[in-house]
Amino acid sequence: MLTIEDFDIKLETETFGRNFVVCDEVDSTNRFLLDSKEFDEHGTVVFAEFQTKGRGRKDREWVSQKGLNLTFSILITKKLKKINVNLIHFAASLSVAQALENLFQLNINLKWPNDVLVGEKKIAGILLESISKGEKINRLVVGIGINVNQPTFSGKFNIQPTSTKIELKRIVSRERLLSEILNILESNYRTLRKDPLKIMNDWRARCKMIGEKIRIVDENIDKYGILEDIDNEGYVLLKTNGKVEKINYGDISLR
Amino acid sequence: MDLNLIKKLIKAVETSEITDFFIEEGDLKIKISKKTAPVIQSAPQYIEAKLPQTQNETTASVQASPEQKEAKPEIPAANLHEVRSPIVGTFYRAPAPDADSYVNVGDKVSEGNVLCIIEAMKLMNEIESDATGKIVKILVENATAVEYNQPLFLIEKN
Repeated sequence: MLTIEDFDIKLETETFGRNFVVCDEVDSTNRFLLDSKEFDEHGTVVFAEFQTKGRGRKDREWVSQKGLNLTFSILITKKLKKINVNLIHFAASLSVAQALENLFQLNINLKWPNDVLVGEKKIAGILLESISKGEKINRLVVGIGINVNQPTFSGKFNIQPTSTKIELKRIVSRERLLSEILNILESNYRTLRKDPLKIMNDWRARCKMIGEKIRIVDENIDKYGILEDIDNEGYVLLKTNGKVEKINYGDISLR
Repeated sequence: MDLNLIKKLIKAVETSEITDFFIEEGDLKIKISKKTAPVIQSAPQYIEAKLPQTQNETTASVQASPEQKEAKPEIPAANLHEVRSPIVGTFYRAPAPDADSYVNVGDKVSEGNVLCIIEAMKLMNEIESDATGKIVKILVENATAVEYNQPLFLIEKN
């Protein structure tokens, strides 16, 4: 089980994680926060030792062994009007990358818009979900799943998974990693309002796919080209036959 | 007054080219007029219609739709509510490709019910209804792009 004291002692945030909910088992931490009438404080974190319906985009499954990894969600309700919500993907994945670099010196590769890889293997995934009524987004939830102390992965995956255990060959403190991520994320969320370009530059510096030949696939798109860049609004700039096209959805892979 | 006669007259006017009809018989006076309002055909044209006209055109489209012609009382514009998109993205009527749609035409919805998802750069945004009533029209095709402030649903408020 997560040792709250170990987590709390390293937490240096003002709001993120100050309201902390631990569940032994929950369907999905994102769903929990999206539906919760009880928890509506900005920065509330829900942590689960096990998710029965852990998911990714379009209801893809997120599988994580009980008690070994980090699966949690952060509720964001403040300043949503003042920022470009698209950029939260970049702030969130950058924060996970920076935490893994700071604590474990891992060589992180970010994949658009929010996958965190070591080499070409996925160590963390992020799912952003929000609820809006009328013209306003009222609640936004950042769901983060990180493979930490899980030694092996069996099954079929879109991207081969890895974990800190596999990369470092040792058990690490989940509590320390969690507090580090929240410390950085709170700071990056602040930066997102004042200087979004800084977030984008730090993100791009960790994206090894820029300049490479890629394929971008989704329900009604399947394109090949060169990933020219990620622009400041977070769009993919795909170059095909000398023309550059802006794309804002789809799964990217190296060709 | 013979209600059936009136219904027959309405039917006759409806199927003809006549736009205005007037008959007087003793004390009974019947006046039937048909509006030839343009029908909104597709969502993309709809996007262009900015605020003030949008409300009018909406009413017009409802009047011109077949089920409304049946001498029903007109739905005043004030009773129709448009749910609009808060972001640019892709419109999905269901949470996953093989799942059931959140809502269909004719469904009763309450304020706070989820109507659809708009995905913007992998942010899955659930749109909650900001009105209580009945879904009378879904204005966008599943899995197509929507613009900021584009009308998505028409709700006939209770």
